[in-house]
Amino acid sequence: MDNSILRLPAEKLFEEELNALIKEEKDPIPEGWRMSPRSVKTYICGGKAGNTVITPKYIGHERLVEIAIATLVTDRALLLIGEPGTAKSWLSEHLTAAINGNSSRVIQGTAGTTEEQIRYSWNYAMLIANGPSEAAMLKSPVFTAMEDGAIARVEEISRCASEVQDTLISLLSEKRISVPELSLEVPAKKGFSIIATANTRDKGVNDMSAALKRRFNIVVLPAPETLEEEMNIVKTRVEQLSGSLDLNAALPKDEVIEKICTIFRELRNGETLDRKQKVKTTAGVLSTAEAISLLCNSMALAGSFGSGEISDEDIAAGLQGAIVKDDDKDIVAWKEYLENIMKKRGMAWSGLYRACRELNE
Amino acid sequence: MINFFGIRHLSPAGAFYLREFLIKTRPELVIIEAPVDFEDTADDIVRPETKPPFAILAYTKSLPVRTILYPFSKYSPEYQAILWCHENNVPFRFMDLPSETFLALSDEKIRKAEQDESGDTKDAEQTEHKPDVYERIAEKSADGSHETFWERTLEQCADFSAYHEGANLFGSKIREFSEADELDAEETKLREIYMRSVIRNAVNSGVAPEKTVVVTGAYHVEGLKTWETNEELPILPKLAALHTLMPYSYYRLSTRSGYGAGNKAPAYYELIWEGLSKGDRMYASNAYLSKIAEKTRENGGAASSAQVIEGVRLAASLAKIRGGNIPTLRDLRDAAETCIGEGSFAAVSVAVADTEIGTKIGELPEGVSRTSIQDDFYRLLKELKLEKYRSVTSRELKLDLRENIRAGSEKSAFLDLNRSFFLHKLRVLGIQFAEYVPSRQENATWSEEWTICWTPESEIALVESALKGDTIELAAAFQLKEKVEHSSEMSVIAGALEDAFCCGMSAAASYALSALQRSAVDAVSFEELAKTAFRLSNIISYGDIRRADCSEILPILQQIYLRACLIMTTACVCDDTACSAIANAINMLNSAEIAQDILETERWLAALNQTARRDDLNTKLSGLCTAILLERNQMTNEQLKIEVSKRLSKGVPADLGAGWFEGLTLKNRYGLIARLSLWESLDEYLGSLDDEEFKRALVFLRRAFADFSAGEKDSIAENLGEIWGLNGAEVSEVLNAQLDEASQEAIDALTDIDFDI
Repeated sequence: MDNSILRLPAEKLFEEELNALIKEEKDPIPEGWRMSPRSVKTYICGGKAGNTVITPKYIGHERLVEIAIATLVTDRALLLIGEPGTAKSWLSEHLTAAINGNSSRVIQGTAGTTEEQIRYSWNYAMLIANGPSEAAMLKSPVFTAMEDGAIARVEEISRCASEVQDTLISLLSEKRISVPELSLEVPAKKGFSIIATANTRDKGVNDMSAALKRRFNIVVLPAPETLEEEMNIVKTRVEQLSGSLDLNAALPKDEVIEKICTIFRELRNGETLDRKQKVKTTAGVLSTAEAISLLCNSMALAGSFGSGEISDEDIAAGLQGAIVKDDDKDIVAWKEYLENIMKKRGMAWSGLYRACRELNE
Repeated sequence: MINFFGIRHLSPAGAFYLREFLIKTRPELVIIEAPVDFEDTADDIVRPETKPPFAILAYTKSLPVRTILYPFSKYSPEYQAILWCHENNVPFRFMDLPSETFLALSDEKIRKAEQDESGDTKDAEQTEHKPDVYERIAEKSADGSHETFWERTLEQCADFSAYHEGANLFGSKIREFSEADELDAEETKLREIYMRSVIRNAVNSGVAPEKTVVVTGAYHVEGLKTWETNEELPILPKLAALHTLMPYSYYRLSTRSGYGAGNKAPAYYELIWEGLSKGDRMYASNAYLSKIAEKTRENGGAASSAQVIEGVRLAASLAKIRGGNIPTLRDLRDAAETCIGEGSFAAVSVAVADTEIGTKIGELPEGVSRTSIQDDFYRLLKELKLEKYRSVTSRELKLDLRENIRAGSEKSAFLDLNRSFFLHKLRVLGIQFAEYVPSRQENATWSEEWTICWTPESEIALVESALKGDTIELAAAFQLKEKVEHSSEMSVIAGALEDAFCCGMSAAASYALSALQRSAVDAVSFEELAKTAFRLSNIISYGDIRRADCSEILPILQQIYLRACLIMTTACVCDDTACSAIANAINMLNSAEIAQDILETERWLAALNQTARRDDLNTKLSGLCTAILLERNQMTNEQLKIEVSKRLSKGVPADLGAGWFEGLTLKNRYGLIARLSLWESLDEYLGSLDDEEFKRALVFLRRAFADFSAGEKDSIAENLGEIWGLNGAEVSEVLNAQLDEASQEAIDALTDIDFDI
């Protein structure tokens, strides 16, 4: 594995697991896929292929993963919806890595995404020099996915302008793309599909039209259901990340992860875990992904400036940044949480409490 | 060799393949697992007017009533077996323990459970939860649920031999692995001994074993195979019992399914049954999703045919991932959520409930082996033209109790009154068929509102009432008599009396009345007396419209009223927690006095006056009595002024003064507002307080004025403006203005005052 690359794509990172699954395949494989739907599920949810242990990539609702895979088996497109940080892109990357062995056919939806980026554009130098030809075409990831019978990903589809979103309608219903300049029509090969993700926080920014929605099977990804589940996710991801980032710090202890997940869950849900006390919620999204990056951050702090072991001060700094975004109200909510909840939690929490309090004085 | 056909109760595939099995084996006798004594209901079961779901209900003849239920649906293998026998003229027999024995066993179990509960509770904590065999199946199967496992492996069998073998294997394996608790194991043993003896007897009576089919739960097949060995039948415990057929509902079937065999989605299972009958194995999936779409549209949502098609495809590929060919209920529901609900279950939840459970209820032909009380109920429903209300969706019924002058006969002239009598009787019996909706319109003695909804529970309650009497009327009378005899509280007896009047039962009413008189002599609680007086007064007011004779009640009301007046003043020595109940009682007595001319007004006013004047009572109650006197115009302005200055004079603790004022505002406010002198006195009083006292008074006054409306505040403002020589409108603006932050804080600070000092 090439260690100089900051972030390897999923199909490289988990190459061994994927190969093991392909080798041990027993079930029928849909056309255009590299493995059977059941193996895709094993790849995502964990299990075994022969003697190789498959690590779980998405922890929690296995049934949702099944629905997602089953959707892709039919020729329907898949739309993953959820709060920020509920592993939408993560899931879509791994689905394509398992199904096609290529998770890089991505279009990032932004306010500046244009129709050409979804269909095709031109190498203008060649266009002017030689006129329209296939060589002068710059094919979009969707275009190549159709040619290869593979799956393309569209991230944050609701960030795109409506007319750009609507380009997808004809692609998804006709399953062919036309290039009038070359009087050419490219039909999609079997196996072509699209996985799009959208954010519930962006609702109403560029709402998807009913016509487009109809072309997708919609799967809503929820926040982790229990504290244990969330801790599990955070732990696995932090381990994976710290390996690839060379953070020079020890992995966080279980009680540290538990504390952070507890704080995040309580502030997210607006009540303490035992449901006895109400808590003010903050404006920022305290997702599982945020907890993961917070811990990596603390590890970086500890590795570069501290003892190599995460201290309460490192976490406090991370928490401050994660919870207090830009709103004055967040500071109030956080301070109240510190005084009303955390202070009263006893010895195990007192170190963290003091460190957090210092930052807020 | 006897042919055993193992089934699961309420299994569509079982019902369908059992029929095929019967056609193929052409038996001369069919033996079915059901209590032997239920055989007499079979004639009614096969009548064409009988529409499943229905149930056989067995109930004990003595108290406490124990019941057992045997529900049947269209897709019950037992029901289809009985039908087949009827159609082909083949005799059949039931073979399970008699219901009397089942009831005795369940009685024993309940008693034992009760004993355990009252005795040692530690046992329960010590016994760890052992996963039962069904949970273990769920764990092992790819679907993670026993229900889905069964559906995928057995309901979706392609032919009857697969089902036959599969169910038998399933049953014998379950038998091997199950660790049922002792009591159940004993019961199973007993049942199987009994069933074997029935089979033996049948064969001994001359039917060739190979011409006999035994239909039984898959679990028992292994146990029954040894029927040939002779064994002695133990003595069976028995509780005298009766049984009857009753209509049942799919809703009930889904919530309470017997035999540990779940049937959470009866309407969906019926779709499977229909699909099997049509020979279309995908029928249930297609019908399920189409129905979801239809119901979603009915509920105002959007669902297109394209979504249904996508749903069917998604369900099919979900089934494939699990290694099946036909979607199970779980696949279908997930597909509905994804494709029709666009990812949200909430969008399709109502439609899912409708499609999976449905609102179907069964029907029985008239006069079919019902208890006499059921017959009476249905006869009355018909007579009172209430039949259309017998449905599982609730409906409203408005009654006008007055005589319909245009009606032809006396019966139709008083139809609504008789309906009311009938519904009240059901209410007394605790049969939740109709629910009384208290009227919002005060004093409308002639109108009543009911919400009517039929459920199997109400039918069960009805059958249970059979012990109380043979007709609704007799049972209600018995119930009221019980209530009167077992109660020492006067207001409860008065309640029974009121019920008797509502039911139009004069004999029961007289009985309750004499009981009431006996207890009234010893009654000491003012609250009880006042409540009773109020109820009696109500009965008298409503008496005419219900065509009842109230002359007997009047003397008792007078007696109770007298006692209440005499002890009221003493009752008013109480703390603030008890005071609201007493205030309530005072109001009740007041309205009773106003409603009934026959009651001595002077006595009531004297009691009120005394309570109003004395200052050693709860001040709030004194205030209330003052208010009542004002309302009834029994107090002059002069007297009021004296009272106000006495109550609010300097030196009286502020909380007492304000409490009095609070009591004063409990009654007619316009009467108060109109009296300028009152506001003058109040103004003077507030002026006389020092800062600390004012703060205390403020808290109470704020509470007293809290629920005054803006209009009322306007009027007060006008008064104050008058007193202070200001413009009323300006004062009103100040009074009705929102508090600014500073005042709010000042008032919040007041809550910290410690009043105990």
